[in-house]
Amino acid sequence: MFNLTEEEIERYSRHIILPEVGGRGQQKLKEASVLVVGAGGLGSPALLYLTAAGVGRIGIIEDDVVDLTNLQRQVLHATADVGKPKAQSASETMKQINPLVEVDVYRERLNKDNILPLVEKYDVVVDGVDNFPTRYLINDACVMKKKALVEGGILRFMGLIMSIRGGETACYRCVYEEPPPPGTVPSCAEAGILGAVAGVVGTLQATEVLKILTGVGKPLFNRMLQFDAEELSFHEVQAKRNPKCPVCGENPTITELVEYDHTCEIQAPGS
Amino acid sequence: MLSLKNEAAAGEAPGLNLEVQGRKVYYQGPADVRSLLDSQGESVLYANVRINGSVLDRRDFENVLLKEGDSVEFLYFMGGGSCST
Repeated sequence: MFNLTEEEIERYSRHIILPEVGGRGQQKLKEASVLVVGAGGLGSPALLYLTAAGVGRIGIIEDDVVDLTNLQRQVLHATADVGKPKAQSASETMKQINPLVEVDVYRERLNKDNILPLVEKYDVVVDGVDNFPTRYLINDACVMKKKALVEGGILRFMGLIMSIRGGETACYRCVYEEPPPPGTVPSCAEAGILGAVAGVVGTLQATEVLKILTGVGKPLFNRMLQFDAEELSFHEVQAKRNPKCPVCGENPTITELVEYDHTCEIQAPGS
Repeated sequence: MLSLKNEAAAGEAPGLNLEVQGRKVYYQGPADVRSLLDSQGESVLYANVRINGSVLDRRDFENVLLKEGDSVEFLYFMGGGSCST
């Protein structure tokens, strides 16, 4: 028999009634842990659905505070939360939705010194960051620790999502070996983002996490999905492990974590 | 996102039937990869390009010529600013 209380059986009944999930799948979710990096545009929908779904323990790492410009898409936070640390605001909303979920709050910035022990504590990592240095850091750490990672990115009317099983399937660097040069890719603050696009991509990330944890379906391993809201179309890119990948290839050149400069002076690893 | 011509107009130079982002399009314009990228206008942000599944070196964008039937994919960078300096 599964270790679910009567309340849990009722709360998650629409999951449990799915034959592919059932009590066994719900039990897996209860025993699982997920780290979400960033409680912003992507982290908000991802955290909401992972919380509602009953993932047993969810970590949030975020050092920013809620700003009025966030509220157009960062649906974890309300007007009254402006000025509050996002990690705290996120945790409060999550507790209201599902008090059965344990929430770990890290009010700090992810860096090469704290990432590995943090990643080790969780089954799956969700990338909801807003900068390339941290994006590459998360990828490399998940490859080194052989962790499952669900990547997500958004800009203007577009988004991308890709699931990675570190060391087994194509990683972010297999597709995007190096960060883009300075001045080539604008941020959402510079180029804008349709709020609902963050909702689509973050919700897809949560969907992927739930599939990976329960074993349901076919996660986006070795595939990358590009979403175009203007056309309302999806394009799937086949991604293969790159033998020359600097972190998961046959002769990796990145064997220790590298942290690209956040101040725009992007440097090559090892330089 | 794509603004490629779907069919050949009378009197224009023959173009190429390509598959761009999984869609069959008829492209009329210079056959180098850079020109195809430029034809996308401002909607195309910084992207890696794959031709028939292989990532193209950015230094070859001007040199590599597209052929009839090529599959072209743009791998857009999304997920944060690379800084505007």
